[in-house]
Amino acid sequence: MPPKSSIRKEEWEKSLHEVQVTKSDLNRLVMDYLVIEGYKSAAEEFSQEANLEPPVDFESIESRMDIREALQRGDVEDAIIRVNDLNPEILDTNPALYFKLQQQKLIEYIRQGRIAEALQFAQDELAPRGEESPEFLSELERTMALLAFESAPNAPSAIAELLSPAQRMKTAGEVNAAILESLSQGKEVKLVGLLKLLCWGESMLEEKTTFPKLNVMDGSLVERG
Amino acid sequence: MARSTGFIPQDKILKLPTRWSDQDRNTHLSVSPDGRDLSYQGPSTNSEKDAAAARTLHHIPPACGIYYYEVEITAKDQKAFAGKGVKYGRLPGWEPNSWGYYGEDGTSLSADKSGSQYGQPYGGGDTIGCGIDFTTHKAFYTKNGTLIGPVFDNVGKNLDLFPSVGLQHAGDSIRANFGQEPFKYDIDYHVQQQYNTTWNKISETPLDRSLLQGHRRAGFSIASITNDVSVPVLTEQESKHVLTQLVMSYLVHHGYAKTARALEYQQRVRDTNASTPTDSSDPDVEMNSSASDAVDIDIETRTSTVNAVLAGDIDTAMDSLRTCYPSVLEVDNHLMLFKLRCRKFVELILETTEIKKKMKALREKEAERNKHFDEAAHEAWLEEEMNMDIDDDAAGPLVIRPILENIPEAVHESEESSEMISDRYESALNAAINYGQCLSSDYQSNPQPEVQDMFRTTLGIVAWDDPTEAGGSVAELVSHNARIALAHEVNQAILKSQGRPAQPALETVYRHTSTCITQLGLLGVGAAAFADMPREFFQAR
Repeated sequence: MPPKSSIRKEEWEKSLHEVQVTKSDLNRLVMDYLVIEGYKSAAEEFSQEANLEPPVDFESIESRMDIREALQRGDVEDAIIRVNDLNPEILDTNPALYFKLQQQKLIEYIRQGRIAEALQFAQDELAPRGEESPEFLSELERTMALLAFESAPNAPSAIAELLSPAQRMKTAGEVNAAILESLSQGKEVKLVGLLKLLCWGESMLEEKTTFPKLNVMDGSLVERG
Repeated sequence: MARSTGFIPQDKILKLPTRWSDQDRNTHLSVSPDGRDLSYQGPSTNSEKDAAAARTLHHIPPACGIYYYEVEITAKDQKAFAGKGVKYGRLPGWEPNSWGYYGEDGTSLSADKSGSQYGQPYGGGDTIGCGIDFTTHKAFYTKNGTLIGPVFDNVGKNLDLFPSVGLQHAGDSIRANFGQEPFKYDIDYHVQQQYNTTWNKISETPLDRSLLQGHRRAGFSIASITNDVSVPVLTEQESKHVLTQLVMSYLVHHGYAKTARALEYQQRVRDTNASTPTDSSDPDVEMNSSASDAVDIDIETRTSTVNAVLAGDIDTAMDSLRTCYPSVLEVDNHLMLFKLRCRKFVELILETTEIKKKMKALREKEAERNKHFDEAAHEAWLEEEMNMDIDDDAAGPLVIRPILENIPEAVHESEESSEMISDRYESALNAAINYGQCLSSDYQSNPQPEVQDMFRTTLGIVAWDDPTEAGGSVAELVSHNARIALAHEVNQAILKSQGRPAQPALETVYRHTSTCITQLGLLGVGAAAFADMPREFFQAR
């Protein structure tokens, strides 16, 4: 192995300066963050202040957030209605997602101890779909197993976790991603992608050479050694 | 030990192989004038390893990610990659640092391994493609547009790699396609797959704590990845905080005050709801407003100062700097004060020029008094005044609207008499000259070369009847772009005086990441070719 070379701070800074990026490029990154994270009024203000074409209808940001909230508080029925109001195609074209919402609804019945309704709902809505795919069936069985345990702590963790807040978050996250996709938006905030690329790039480059590292909080370059 | 610098300039040109070399070839091979055909004109050999080989003029730059070429065969031959310094009397794959696919029996050959079965034999009429993937350092071949599969390991690591072929029989000839024509194999699809693979890898990268500290732990190695629980990864909460901080500081930096306020408010509402999930939709959250008010006031003052410069109202800008950010005017021997005063002189001269133009127009009008006021021309003038190109976001807060006061003035223009306007010109000119004299006495003997330069060019503009019509540096100095540049400088100077970075951290993050990727590419890391930042971050999906 040749000895590791190093890049001096002055050279690095000169190179930073040469990178092609404009204010309006960065504005769009910021807009993407505001939209995906669901900050509707901030996105509206930004569209005005930065004179930026909004990438989506602002109302869709709000309804997306409403849907997420409904799922997080366990109101699956409300979430389904809102998704269909926004765009009926989202659930029509995505049976797996629709099944997950129905499964979540079943979980919420069981959580509330509405056992008779849970059974009825499972028989009417979920069982026919379980016949469609083995994956749906095993998920249905896993959910029904909740009924066998009187309280969640006694259940095996693979079953008890269905009642955890994380399960709600997971369902909410998948619905959110599907809506974003229907709006031709990315699932992940692009800024997060940028930070990941930064971590990836720095660690790869570090194997080859020594160079100034970046503190992202204040944008300062740190030279080691 | 002297430390060599590892920095590779970005403008290093990446040359791709596009023709066979006239020098680096066996003497029995002849190269066509366009550099794409090779034919064998020596005695046929019966040995399975002796052959006449050739390579391309340029080696393959690993920064290209994937390199691919195709060869159409008239008779038997063999295509391959060869390292630098390989002899040309053997088939590729027999010499060290060379790798090949042998047409006679379809075996793959590399010097560190004896041949093993790889694909079908090939011969006259076939088109064989050969690719190298620098993200995996594996080669792949195609036959008549169909992928055979990846083959060989560690191809082209730490050495320059050249496309190469070997011919064995009299009359053998091939024609290469280095991208001059469409390929038989769908290489774009292949590349797209690799692109996606690379981005999947990137998106699985955890955000680690070094983002906050600016340095990584020493001794990071492959072995420590697998089962080191102490590799510090940011929690979800911390990641969110980093993002918020990046966005917020960006908004504040550029003076997007309303957006910053709205974002702060919405985040506060959300945090409150998260901590008390029972009342989920109560937007009536008490604002803890003192901190954000301070931010608001700061943004407003800075924005209005910068806008004053943009509007050419240098007096207002200087007043507000004197009151709120006095140190900005003082640093570097009052350099900013000097720059602003120079600009003020420019503005005064521009005003006289403007009045002079009107005066001229009025005189012309008086000359043809009987004619109607030319409405159309007037409108055209107005429009020109309104269409000043200001900034990339014309409605942004650090941007002036066209100066509205001009409009009533323009409307009344026809009522202004010739005497009135020439009085106005007189006094404007006097003001400009007085100001120039003040500048002169204040800065004539200033020793700073930067000051002397700017002083001379600034005063020089009086030599022009209409400096806006003059070319070169004069036009530049009086242009609106010069205002924008100065306003930008003032903004940065204010931020700097507050101990804030002159460029938002978000922008530095982008520039720093891009520089990492560029350097990786230049150091031969093939995956860097796929980390296409503008495509990933700025293009609409």
